[in-house]
Amino acid sequence: MIQSDMLSLIPILEMRMRLKMTLEREIFEDQILGMTRRHFFGQAGLSLGSIALAQMLSGSQVQSAETVAQNPLAPRRTMIPGKAKHVIYLHMAGSPSQLDLFDDKPELRKYTGKACPDELLKGKRFAFIRGVPNMLGSPFKFLKHGQSGTELSELWQHLPSVIDKVAVLKTVKTDQFNHGPAQLYLHTGTNQFGGASIGSWATYGLGSENADLPGFVVLTSGGKTPDAGKSVWGSGYLPSVYQGVQCRSEGDPVLFLANPPGLDRPGRRRTLDALKQLNEEQTKAIGDPETVTRIAQYELAYRMQMTAPEVMDISREPKHILEMYGAVPGFVPESDSAADPRTAYKATDAQFANNCLLARRLVESGVRFVQLFDWGWDHHGVSPGEDIVNTLPIKVRQIDRAITALIKDLDQRGLLNETLIVWGGEFGRTPMAQNSPNQKFPGRDHHPYAFTMFMAGGGIKGGQTIGKTDDIGYYAVEQPLDVRDIQATILNQLGLDPWKLHFNYQGLDQRLIGVEGKATLPKGLIA
Amino acid sequence: MSVRSHLGAKLVRNLCTLIVLSSFEVQPRIACADEAVKVDFARDVRPILSRNCFSCHGPDSVQRKAKLRLDVKADVFSDRGGWSAVVAGKVSESEIISRITSHDKAEAMPPGGPEKRLKPEEIATLTNWISQGAQWRNHWAFEKPVKTSLPESSNYRWGQNAIDSFILQRLHSAKITPNPEADKNTLIRRLSLDLTGLPPTSDQISEFLADTEADAYDRLVERLLASPSYGERWARIWLDMARFADTRGYEKDRSRPMWRYRDWVISAMNQDLPYDQFTRDQLAGDLVLGNTPEKRLATAFHRNTLTNEEGGTDDEEFRSAAVKDRVDTTMQVWMGLTFGCAKCHSHKYDPISQSDYYKFYAFFNQTADNDRGDESPFESFPNTVQVLEIKSLDQEITSMAEKSNIGPPKKADFDRLKSLHDKKNQILEACRTPIYQELSEKARRQTKIHQRGNFLDPGADVSAGTPESFPKLKKGLPANRLSVAAWLFDDENPLTARVAVNRHWAAFFGQGLVSTPEDFGSQGQSPSHPELLDYLAVTFRETGWSFKSLCRLIVKSATYRQASTVSLESAKLDPSNILLGRFPRNRLEAEMIRDSALRASGLLSPKMFGPSVMPYQPDGIWRSTYNTDKWVTSPGEDKYRRGLYTFIKRTSPYPAMLTMDAPSREICSIRRITTNTPLQALITLNDTVYIEAAQALSRRMYQYGNRNDVDQKIAYGLHLTLGRPAKFNELKILAALYQDRLAFYKTDQKSAQSMSTNPLGPLPEGFQMDEVASLTNIANVILNLDEFLTKP
Repeated sequence: MIQSDMLSLIPILEMRMRLKMTLEREIFEDQILGMTRRHFFGQAGLSLGSIALAQMLSGSQVQSAETVAQNPLAPRRTMIPGKAKHVIYLHMAGSPSQLDLFDDKPELRKYTGKACPDELLKGKRFAFIRGVPNMLGSPFKFLKHGQSGTELSELWQHLPSVIDKVAVLKTVKTDQFNHGPAQLYLHTGTNQFGGASIGSWATYGLGSENADLPGFVVLTSGGKTPDAGKSVWGSGYLPSVYQGVQCRSEGDPVLFLANPPGLDRPGRRRTLDALKQLNEEQTKAIGDPETVTRIAQYELAYRMQMTAPEVMDISREPKHILEMYGAVPGFVPESDSAADPRTAYKATDAQFANNCLLARRLVESGVRFVQLFDWGWDHHGVSPGEDIVNTLPIKVRQIDRAITALIKDLDQRGLLNETLIVWGGEFGRTPMAQNSPNQKFPGRDHHPYAFTMFMAGGGIKGGQTIGKTDDIGYYAVEQPLDVRDIQATILNQLGLDPWKLHFNYQGLDQRLIGVEGKATLPKGLIA
Repeated sequence: MSVRSHLGAKLVRNLCTLIVLSSFEVQPRIACADEAVKVDFARDVRPILSRNCFSCHGPDSVQRKAKLRLDVKADVFSDRGGWSAVVAGKVSESEIISRITSHDKAEAMPPGGPEKRLKPEEIATLTNWISQGAQWRNHWAFEKPVKTSLPESSNYRWGQNAIDSFILQRLHSAKITPNPEADKNTLIRRLSLDLTGLPPTSDQISEFLADTEADAYDRLVERLLASPSYGERWARIWLDMARFADTRGYEKDRSRPMWRYRDWVISAMNQDLPYDQFTRDQLAGDLVLGNTPEKRLATAFHRNTLTNEEGGTDDEEFRSAAVKDRVDTTMQVWMGLTFGCAKCHSHKYDPISQSDYYKFYAFFNQTADNDRGDESPFESFPNTVQVLEIKSLDQEITSMAEKSNIGPPKKADFDRLKSLHDKKNQILEACRTPIYQELSEKARRQTKIHQRGNFLDPGADVSAGTPESFPKLKKGLPANRLSVAAWLFDDENPLTARVAVNRHWAAFFGQGLVSTPEDFGSQGQSPSHPELLDYLAVTFRETGWSFKSLCRLIVKSATYRQASTVSLESAKLDPSNILLGRFPRNRLEAEMIRDSALRASGLLSPKMFGPSVMPYQPDGIWRSTYNTDKWVTSPGEDKYRRGLYTFIKRTSPYPAMLTMDAPSREICSIRRITTNTPLQALITLNDTVYIEAAQALSRRMYQYGNRNDVDQKIAYGLHLTLGRPAKFNELKILAALYQDRLAFYKTDQKSAQSMSTNPLGPLPEGFQMDEVASLTNIANVILNLDEFLTKP
């Protein structure tokens, strides 16, 4: 295999690899990752040469320790010390009612059915409320749980058992009150399209620990993708290699993963061997390092074909674990085939539970960022399948046991400390009942001023409630938080400095937390 | 330091490597630190000031500190009461130097700690600039381009046209010899891909190879420029910028017929509609006196903005978001400016104030569209096929009407008439395209500044006008979009021509002469060949803004016709190939990969125009909220159309395109950043589209030559895909694979059947299934070759 003409190619490849690195250069030249720019190039330059050399001389399997230039998802050092290696972000698309789940307001109950005072309506824009709506206290009881005495609605049956691991944030505020823009704002830092999602920032900053799997995986349930579409896990101005990869429970777990019918795995190996030999011929003739990179990508793809279905196969889990989550391998909910999935939701729908279990398996395998989107939380009360009294309890039962199991399971495996769990919607819901002309059930409109999210693990101090809202849950009165603070916390826990992690685009240093960098780490949240 | 202490020996080793490597990196910058070399203000100094100083000492008056601007000559040199920021020729008297070198925390600039400080070579550059006389020039891109005389190349003869003189001059001074001309197989493949987005057919290759006339290449260029595929290829680039898609975006993301606009762009490209007219029609076709349907259709360009149909949205909020998008897109596409930065506050780096932004916004704030669910105003633009359909329906309707005049009305006739009218309406609806329509005088909106970019926080009234620091509208022109279109093409406009030629250059060479095509402002990169950029810009204008002439000029250059092989010499001297001593290889664009596979396999449909189509897409991809639209694979040849015609749903773009770096078309996209990932490999290996292409290709191979001559069949497959004869080693490797696979498929007929027929369908009579299946494996390998996926 060793040929003298191959040896003479090495320097050329090394040089050419620098051309390929135009991309990486753009990405990293301003990025502060605890490395100076020069150091970065020095390191990359050296290892590129060695990889090309090793590969071509041995003709053997590609080295798994790819460098940044070989693989933009190769793991990188943190910028600051970080507690979390992984994030599991559970997004309840549509936005659940904080007032019926976390934020008990006895005072509000007293006013149920009474007209909303003028000062709460003046100068405000609502999505659906028109005129003067009535106040709506929660129909659900609240109880204190755990040593922390954290208050939870009776709808939560399982979460109380792990509540001392959980930090409840009651005063999160957002700028947006429509689903699409609010989801974009929360997940990409801007209400416009074109921003980069949190997960893509995480993989851009840190790479991924397992090259055989995507670094940023997205799982959806509830029958629909989030309102803002796939841009909420897009990479925006960052290169597309950092975008979230949607993994699916039906069909290929990763798109196009399976070999075509009639080509088995040994057969695929044979074709890839031939492909590799031919591409090496090409490298000899032209000397383009991009070809070397392409050879490596095909080998990665081959390994992903093996790894991803294994990791994605929850039927490999023991029975007690499946039961713990309420997971059912291969479960296809009826709601999936319903014209409006919300009308067919059942408390036993196991899709979200399956995704929680998958999330654990993915994190265990080194995936950096796992994001679950569960649709169907937009409870206006205008039509069946979207109200506070009937639908909300069903939705909570779909997630309660699974989230609790996820926290426990990560904990018992020693992974909770290094895995940050984030739960929440894109905004909250109004203390007023929605009053649409066609109102059929109790429901609430969109409320951006104060809503509840929670976090657990990943260096978060559990067993506490942060922030307090006023007597009816309209505004924050203690420790107001902003969506930007949540974004900053997630990056910070991963060891990425939210104020410094940036990407130069259109002449500006773009950041997840916005160009102005207005964010603070919530006091007392971090352990 | 703390970081370094962890690194130990590895760092030392790396740093050593670095020192070796850095000696050929960014030569101009390094060179400036050397006192002997003349510092170029625009290239060397201004970027340092912009990067480090302008955010506090720049155009933004709100953020400005010490009332000092370092982007304006007067401020930089003025006496500020005993001191000046810069005193030409006197380093020690220049305050700027004492500040950037100061160790006193209160004095040191830029503030913000050690990591904000200037690098030693940057300080050296500024010092040398001052000691060399501190020559000042405005930002290069804001000065009008001028054609300089062609550089005289001394004793080395090379080149076909003016481009080569500029390229050779730089190569010469870097002591790099340009590559020789690529072989003819490479040339026709490169040229076909660049001009038409398609690889050449086997006949086209043979014809070109056989043509030994001196002007064979020139005639090939003309043939390709005249090909209808030319318009399809160049429309693709424009449609990324026009954020063309088939749905409205946001939550419901319902479909919206915009395809007639796409077809308009293709036709405009094919007719070589001059850039100024092309622009005028799109920005203001509705305002052109005696405008035609074609011109009104062109205005759909700015109706490609998103419409938010989510329940409970404020239409004015999303109307103003759409107008902002139009303003930002206009300035991005034509002027290469990051104008959108000035929405919330004045631009930090370029002379664009917030009031400039809303003055320009005012031009675009007078159209009748208003984020409505019905997308009004709109107009139906039936295409040729539809016009004929409507004609025949009309005829039948007329004849039925005549018939009903004779006898008593019958129910059957009535039903028939109704169905004819329904059919006609369906056709009209399928081509009902949103367009621009100016509000009447009475209904015009008063534009106000949106404070902090918030439409709910109105500031001062502004009237329509162009940004202060750029040329004014020509006297006597009304303040409307038509005048904006004229202003963009005013002789004094420094940017429009440069930005366009740079983008065209990038389409051929993978990177523009300005490597930040989206930013020609102060924070953008300086051009690698400023004189060449200006030469092309002025020539583009002089040749009547003809894109085809521009293409012709570029592809006829020797620079373009070079081989792409990397010699050790040029790799060492110019690793990033900035100087273009070789042709840069680049991966094909998403659409080109699809089109190439379909063409090689013979499946590609030559059909042009019409509603967007749905090729194979895995099930379950579309799950938009409050939307029950379904992806239904198009019947017949429509599933084999060029990638350009694939239906684009914004919230759920076609996955194979997205993974191959195509944008989701929600906002204007000036360039695609090419990546190289395992997910891309999975597409060309396993996506049904590529499996079917492999099957079709294998059938072509199977039928070729002698029944038992496998080498011949493989060579034919390579010829169809790569456009060149096979090499000995390639045949050896693939023939071995063939025998191996054949042994397998002989024992597994079921697999052989799937591999050879699913999804393409049953084999023709007499085809040997196991042999075709084995060839399908070969074809699958060939369609994944680096060479196949790359422009040579």
